[in-house]
Amino acid sequence: MAKEKGKTKANLLKGIINENPLLVSILGTCPALATTKTVEAALGMGLLFTIVLICSNILVSLLRKLIPEEVKTPAYIVIIATFVTMVKMFTNAFLPELYSTLGVFISLIVVNCIVLGRAEAYASKNKVFDSFIDALGMGIGYTLAIILMAFFRELLGTGAFTFGKIFTFIPLTKVQIIPKGYEISLFQNPAGAFIVFSIILAVIAFIKNRKAELVAYNEKQEKIRKLQEAKAQAAKVEGGNK
Amino acid sequence: MSDKKKYVITSITLGFIAASSAALIAVTNLVTRDKIRESEQQRIVKGIQSIFTECESFKENELVNSYKYVMTAYRVVDKNDAELGYAFQTIGSNQYGKISLIVGYENAISTASFKGVYVVVDEQTYASTLEDNYISQLPDILEDVNCGATYGAKLVREMIKEAGKAAEDIWN
Repeated sequence: MAKEKGKTKANLLKGIINENPLLVSILGTCPALATTKTVEAALGMGLLFTIVLICSNILVSLLRKLIPEEVKTPAYIVIIATFVTMVKMFTNAFLPELYSTLGVFISLIVVNCIVLGRAEAYASKNKVFDSFIDALGMGIGYTLAIILMAFFRELLGTGAFTFGKIFTFIPLTKVQIIPKGYEISLFQNPAGAFIVFSIILAVIAFIKNRKAELVAYNEKQEKIRKLQEAKAQAAKVEGGNK
Repeated sequence: MSDKKKYVITSITLGFIAASSAALIAVTNLVTRDKIRESEQQRIVKGIQSIFTECESFKENELVNSYKYVMTAYRVVDKNDAELGYAFQTIGSNQYGKISLIVGYENAISTASFKGVYVVVDEQTYASTLEDNYISQLPDILEDVNCGATYGAKLVREMIKEAGKAAEDIWN
């Protein structure tokens, strides 16, 4: 039971940290660059993406033994496109501001490599619950990653965070952080999106390299310590024999 | 498994997936159709009120001619029932997608005077460029012949000009 729980937790966390689809696998970068002008838009995009990913993973996993190998890709695309169409209609009906903000990028979830990739790489080979957890982890990981990008873009590009424009059930709130006139509007443009994305990737690469260096250093120190211990032991035995 | 049996199972599975997809989309359409129509109507109301800030009410008016982009005309009045102008719902599309606008014109004695524009729907692939690069600079940019730098700008200009023609047809 505990082993199962541990496996589920590891499955969930891998999509958020170790195998984050945007920051580690560098997938789904097109919507990540386009929909991260504001934190609210990024959150909306992340939620819709997660819903599509979960639904398609569950259905692909349910039908994994029925879909023949020769036609699995078109079958998966039909499944994903169906859920994207449904999500698009629901968004248009109940969240029209989000629908008009995200525009064509809702439809582009169909060709987002993360969705098709997880369907083929995981959902088609695992049980329904495991596929659900995998999709949830990947969805949360992607959402957090694009919110991180949006955080810096909105902060540096507008100097403020605005909430309530897209999710109109929240009262309209604007929090000015950087005084007006000191914002860098470049960060609201595609060039700024690339800059923020590349800086985040550089920081992650730096942390990873440092971690790897630390692990290698600790392993080396451990080897040296064991060698010294062995030498000391050998010297003790030799001394005893004499 | 024999080839024939394999093909039959494949066909049935794909047929089942296609039929289920169609059914799911049809059900979603049934559930959301009215809400989508209602929210589009709300956007039209919001558009008219943003163009004619003193608007108290508006009423659908018959168009004098048939037009390429202008679909509906609304006569806008203030609280004293005085005419403020006309708001036209225009719908057009180009190679990038569909745009729907509310274009407002007021009666300037011998000509129709451009009042404002509100984007109801913008399904272009480069929708985000239209508002900042073109809409926000109207009407100064209306006569700019080199407006192809922004996707949809030419279509928007044609829609606005046709709405102006429709307004003049009503008033003359």
